[in-house]
Amino acid sequence: MEYANLRRQAASLKRSLFDQGYLDEQFCQVEDLQDEASPNFAEEVVSLFFKDSARLVANIEQAMEKYPGDFNRWDAHMQQLKGSCFSIGASKMSNECTSFRNSCAEENAEGCRRSFQKVKREHAILRQKLESYFQLLRQAGPARTATRSGGK
Amino acid sequence: MAPPEEDQFPVGMKVLVVDDDPTCLAVLNRMLVQCRYDATTCSRATVALSMLRENRGGFDVIISDVHMPDMDGFRLLELVGLELDLPVIMMSADSSTNAVMKGIKHGACDYLIKPVRMEELKNIWQHVVRKKFSGNKEHEHSGSLDDTDRTRPTNNDNEYASSANDGADDSWKSQKKKRDKEDDDSELESGDPSNSSKKPRVVWSVELHQQFVNAVNHLGIDKAVPKKILELMNVPGLTRENVASHLQKFRLYLKRIAQHHAGMANPYGVPASSAQMASLGGLDFQTLAASGQIPPQALAALQDELLGRPANSLVLPARDQSSLRLAAIKGNKPHGEREIAFGQPLYKCQNNSYGAFPQSSPAAGRMPSFSGWPNNKLGMTDPTSTLGNVNNSQNSNIVLHELQQQPDTMLSGTLHTLDVKPSGIVMPSQSLNTFAASEGLSHNQNPLIMPSQSSGFLTSIPPSMKADSVLPTSQSPNSLLGGIDLINQASTSQPFISSHGGNLPGLMNRNSNVIPSQGMSNFQTGNNLYLVNQNSMGLGSKPQGVLKTESTDSLSQSYGYGSNPMDSGLLSSQSKNAQFGFLHSPNDVTGGWSSLQNMDNYRNTVGPSHPVSSSSSFQSSNAALGKLPDQGRGKNLGFVGKGTCIPNRFAVDEIESPTNSLSHSIGSSGDIPDMYGFSGQM
Repeated sequence: MEYANLRRQAASLKRSLFDQGYLDEQFCQVEDLQDEASPNFAEEVVSLFFKDSARLVANIEQAMEKYPGDFNRWDAHMQQLKGSCFSIGASKMSNECTSFRNSCAEENAEGCRRSFQKVKREHAILRQKLESYFQLLRQAGPARTATRSGGK
Repeated sequence: MAPPEEDQFPVGMKVLVVDDDPTCLAVLNRMLVQCRYDATTCSRATVALSMLRENRGGFDVIISDVHMPDMDGFRLLELVGLELDLPVIMMSADSSTNAVMKGIKHGACDYLIKPVRMEELKNIWQHVVRKKFSGNKEHEHSGSLDDTDRTRPTNNDNEYASSANDGADDSWKSQKKKRDKEDDDSELESGDPSNSSKKPRVVWSVELHQQFVNAVNHLGIDKAVPKKILELMNVPGLTRENVASHLQKFRLYLKRIAQHHAGMANPYGVPASSAQMASLGGLDFQTLAASGQIPPQALAALQDELLGRPANSLVLPARDQSSLRLAAIKGNKPHGEREIAFGQPLYKCQNNSYGAFPQSSPAAGRMPSFSGWPNNKLGMTDPTSTLGNVNNSQNSNIVLHELQQQPDTMLSGTLHTLDVKPSGIVMPSQSLNTFAASEGLSHNQNPLIMPSQSSGFLTSIPPSMKADSVLPTSQSPNSLLGGIDLINQASTSQPFISSHGGNLPGLMNRNSNVIPSQGMSNFQTGNNLYLVNQNSMGLGSKPQGVLKTESTDSLSQSYGYGSNPMDSGLLSSQSKNAQFGFLHSPNDVTGGWSSLQNMDNYRNTVGPSHPVSSSSSFQSSNAALGKLPDQGRGKNLGFVGKGTCIPNRFAVDEIESPTNSLSHSIGSSGDIPDMYGFSGQM
């Protein structure tokens, strides 16, 4: 079956995302939250995340330009982004957020900038990968349960 | 999915989630729905707060993010804790110990680290149950004085001890502690920003009082005038008024001591009192009394006044006003805090009380800000204002509530003052209540009644007179005391008391004094005596009709909220009789009563023995929680502490002991809130 194949691809992609550290258990939790009442919940949340995280990233960028050396401010913004990452299990991205915050604690502006670039990169990578993933799921059709179980 | 407890309890539990992160909010909402909770999400703390205020009872538990742009999650937590007494669960990606500790200190019942997992959410219903359960439990406890007494002291001590260690957190509790600490330090301080506009608050620390006593000794008790004392003391920031007020109290105290000696004839407490006296700043009271310098009558009263006044009188005034103002300000906000049952009524009450204070202050004369409190204190010395005491106690209760409610540091300062005042007045009244309830309190109440009869008498005396009108007051108190003594005897059965009963009116005061000197163990008896004294005092206070009425109103309101049969019963049995008599005599109170029986009871209690009323209200507000009872207890304890500690300490430490006692009471009163916070948090 083509659908089965697509589902396998999706499951494989997801597994690779886990293996590479892009995602963690929280993502499975989110996927488990979808049911008949909200069949596309995971995708909705993920798209919500990318929409909001883009805003947060922009906020951080702005703060870093506007308030150079105001590490507390930077940190507060990054804290928000990190919380968002946690919500969907974007572990690799949240790790970069953490290193950014560590640099803030050290008042290491250069380290912050480096970390921020990584955060943005991870953000973009994750977005692209998750979009592919959900596209596969959409193509696989209604048999989402298979994916879910596979995910587990 | 949710663990069904009984009749599917957790199912449909109303959960409000507040987080500015839409992703997190979406996930949480979904999780909560899967837990079969009734979830509501809100992305702004301010909106959440208005939702909570508009829809009281609309939520069982709140989950709030820590970091939110419009309002810090801890702030929301505080406000919710103060106004709604709902369990609040904090959550944050910040898992640092500091962050979690902050949440706990602010009263969070749980702290979830993001990402929040389903397993954790499935379990949050326990916080709702625990909150309710703890409330019931506390209520039960309120019934047994023994437990209370046993527990209270410990709590007080702990609080006290820990106060110094407390860091700077914004929680109400910590603020209070800080206050206490400051009091202990008892330095001249201008108080908080809130107070800054007012007169500087003067805490008569041991050192300061020692200086004062030295100055008085140097000048001679008869020749000591405030101006000269002030010059001798040479303490910056201290004003002539401060000294004058303290001197007045000191003189009253000396008078009382003298009385005490004369009347008591050393049967029981004389030794202690005499020793104490001697220790006081070098003044030899006995000698004074013997020499005739000090009016014998005054001696008995001395201890009480000094104890209560030193801290209260000077310190309180400035803060009182400020506190009142603060209260008024806060009044705008809904403070529901502990008193779920109380809810808004409390607010009103508080506001009223506040308003009343300012008014009363002018009447008070010297201590304008004090008006309410001072009267009480005076009342203590004088037996005049039973009602006043009651009112005060209520006020104090109210104040405490407000304090609790007030999250701001500013408030804390206010609170402090408030606490101090209440402690003096409230503590006794509460103690009376507890006593009555536990033991033969009814006896105490009766004595109270006695005062009520004389209350008219007292009322006639202007509050300002208190200090000066020692003789009249003392007389009236005497009669009261006599009644009280009898009561005390019956209830306490201690030798002391009995002797007191036999003694002249002046004895009551003495008894109270003596009692304090005795160990904490004597507590109850000591309290009773104290209470009695207060009662007598209360009579005098009545003139402050405004305050009283207000306080009564507030009480009545509170009653309406959570009036329990239990409470009313207690009140009625214990205090009703006496109180009733009281109330009638004081017109002020009666006006308010008419409405409900329960109300009457409360008011009665309030009028006569504020503490009782407060305690009752607390009890009644079981649903609200056991805090109220706790407060009553705490206060009682504090009172006891005063009674017990003050005399002894007074001798040794002089003023400090009073302060301590006050702080204790404060702590105890504060404890209640804390308790609240804790239960809520837990």
